[in-house]
Amino acid sequence: MDIQDIIVSHDNTRNHLNGVSTTIVKGNITTIIGPNGCGKSTLLSVISRLHSPKSGNVLLENKDLLHYKPKEFAKKLAIVYQQNDIPKDLTIEKLVGFGRLPHQTMLKKNHDEDAKAIDWALTCTNLHQKRTTNLEALSGGERQRVWIAMALAQQSEILCLDEPTTYLDIYYQIELLELVKTLNEQHGLTIIMVLHDINQAIRYSDHIILMKEGQIFAEGEPREVITKQVIKEVYGVDAIFNEDKQLGYYMLPVGI
Amino acid sequence: MTKRIVSFFIVIVLLLVTIVYSATTGSIKMGFFEFIGALFEGESSQMEAIRDLRFPRIIVALFAGAALSVSGVLLQSVMRNPLADAGVIGISSGAAFVQLFIVSFFPALFFMTPILAFMGGALACSLVFALSWKSGLSPLKLILVGIAINAMFTGLTEALISLGGSLNTSASSVIGSNLTMRTWKDVSTIVTYGTIGLIGAFALYSWCNLLVLQDKTVKSLGFQVARARLLIAAFAVLLAAVSVVVAGVISFVGLLVPHIARRLVGHDHLVLIPFTALAGALLILVADTIGRTIVAPIEIPASTIMAIIGGPFLIFLLRKE
Repeated sequence: MDIQDIIVSHDNTRNHLNGVSTTIVKGNITTIIGPNGCGKSTLLSVISRLHSPKSGNVLLENKDLLHYKPKEFAKKLAIVYQQNDIPKDLTIEKLVGFGRLPHQTMLKKNHDEDAKAIDWALTCTNLHQKRTTNLEALSGGERQRVWIAMALAQQSEILCLDEPTTYLDIYYQIELLELVKTLNEQHGLTIIMVLHDINQAIRYSDHIILMKEGQIFAEGEPREVITKQVIKEVYGVDAIFNEDKQLGYYMLPVGI
Repeated sequence: MTKRIVSFFIVIVLLLVTIVYSATTGSIKMGFFEFIGALFEGESSQMEAIRDLRFPRIIVALFAGAALSVSGVLLQSVMRNPLADAGVIGISSGAAFVQLFIVSFFPALFFMTPILAFMGGALACSLVFALSWKSGLSPLKLILVGIAINAMFTGLTEALISLGGSLNTSASSVIGSNLTMRTWKDVSTIVTYGTIGLIGAFALYSWCNLLVLQDKTVKSLGFQVARARLLIAAFAVLLAAVSVVVAGVISFVGLLVPHIARRLVGHDHLVLIPFTALAGALLILVADTIGRTIVAPIEIPASTIMAIIGGPFLIFLLRKE
């Protein structure tokens, strides 16, 4: 995916994204990080077509994103948002079934294929046992997995996640990121996500895009991007870095 | 699952009982077996009177109830708001105003009333949408805007009645939301448009189910939300407008019935829409039958009874929100 010189303004007074260009490599886990208000979620919303840019364009397989038909695009790219309202009286199975929408038309449904995709999505997210449970009865971690399962049922090549771990306990955070890793490694999904936690980004990404004030400040492999100097400049935080045999490279913020 | 079946069964039984009771009760009385006998074979003068006077009224009440309730379900789905009702938010009064306007000034266009009333309802509906959309459709704000729109159209209608009172006497018969003196012509209007609306609503059930998700989520599934909203809203307005044209403005039906229906049969529109139609038909027929028998020969309009039940119910829902 090629992102070319994107400018986005929500209110026409300032640019929330100011000339962002980058390339997202197929098969990678790409993580967008940066301080609050740096435009990381906005960038994700442009990639997923929720907002269209004021100028610039995004090419997916050499075709402008905006030239895809809605359903055609939904077969290419799925997104899980950070906060989702939980509908009343809806089972996991039904919600995940909504993910098949891009593959259906009013008159034509392939039930076998739909059932297979739903099964696969539920198995990946470890929700098979609970498929007939109502969403209201689930824990926060399970709910987040349900939305991921719905996106998986779309069977797209690209999966976007907007701060998937933000409202979860650390147990579920790790569980979720391990799931993302599995999806990437075993099922070949290209992952684009926004994370808040820098250490999680280091640990789970192939490529990090660090943003500041609507622009890309630095990007590349985690180790190259996240350095003492960069963290000071972007976040205004002093941090020490360490290398652990088991954990690998990690950061500890120590002061401002 | 069994709760659904039982609910359907009970509503259908009650509906049949009420239809027979309503047909046989009033100034002309008939026993049940006498009625059934006359219905299938005999030509009696009593039966003739019932056929000409009471049957149209019953059919109009049934269709108006079904149409208004399903209209409520559709509006609640489109606006993602459990409090939406064609009567409360001004769609019905928009349709009523246009209808009266036509009757008063362009009586030649009378045959087009349903379509023009539909446009009046659509105008009110788009005003409510446009004026409350900015806040992301907060339930309370939408209701407030709707009540204001409703007040405006009701005011315009009353102004028209005052101005044209001397000109046209048929105006008051249009605006009185009473089910008396309905003819077979009214029946054919409401059955034709009502059936189109109800079938259309049912055909859109899967879209209604999808709209429980947030807009950004359904959009990400490749679903064209705006187009779906427009179409569902159009059917909601059609159903409301046709019942206004034939039965007058009856508020709160679209609020009460879907709310109770959801408790009984759940939120899946595949089941909810047919159930709401049946329950709505039952409610209005009961209201109308009570209204014309309780202090006979004086009649209390069904809309008055609905307002008496519906007002407190809206307050109850608002407090729960």
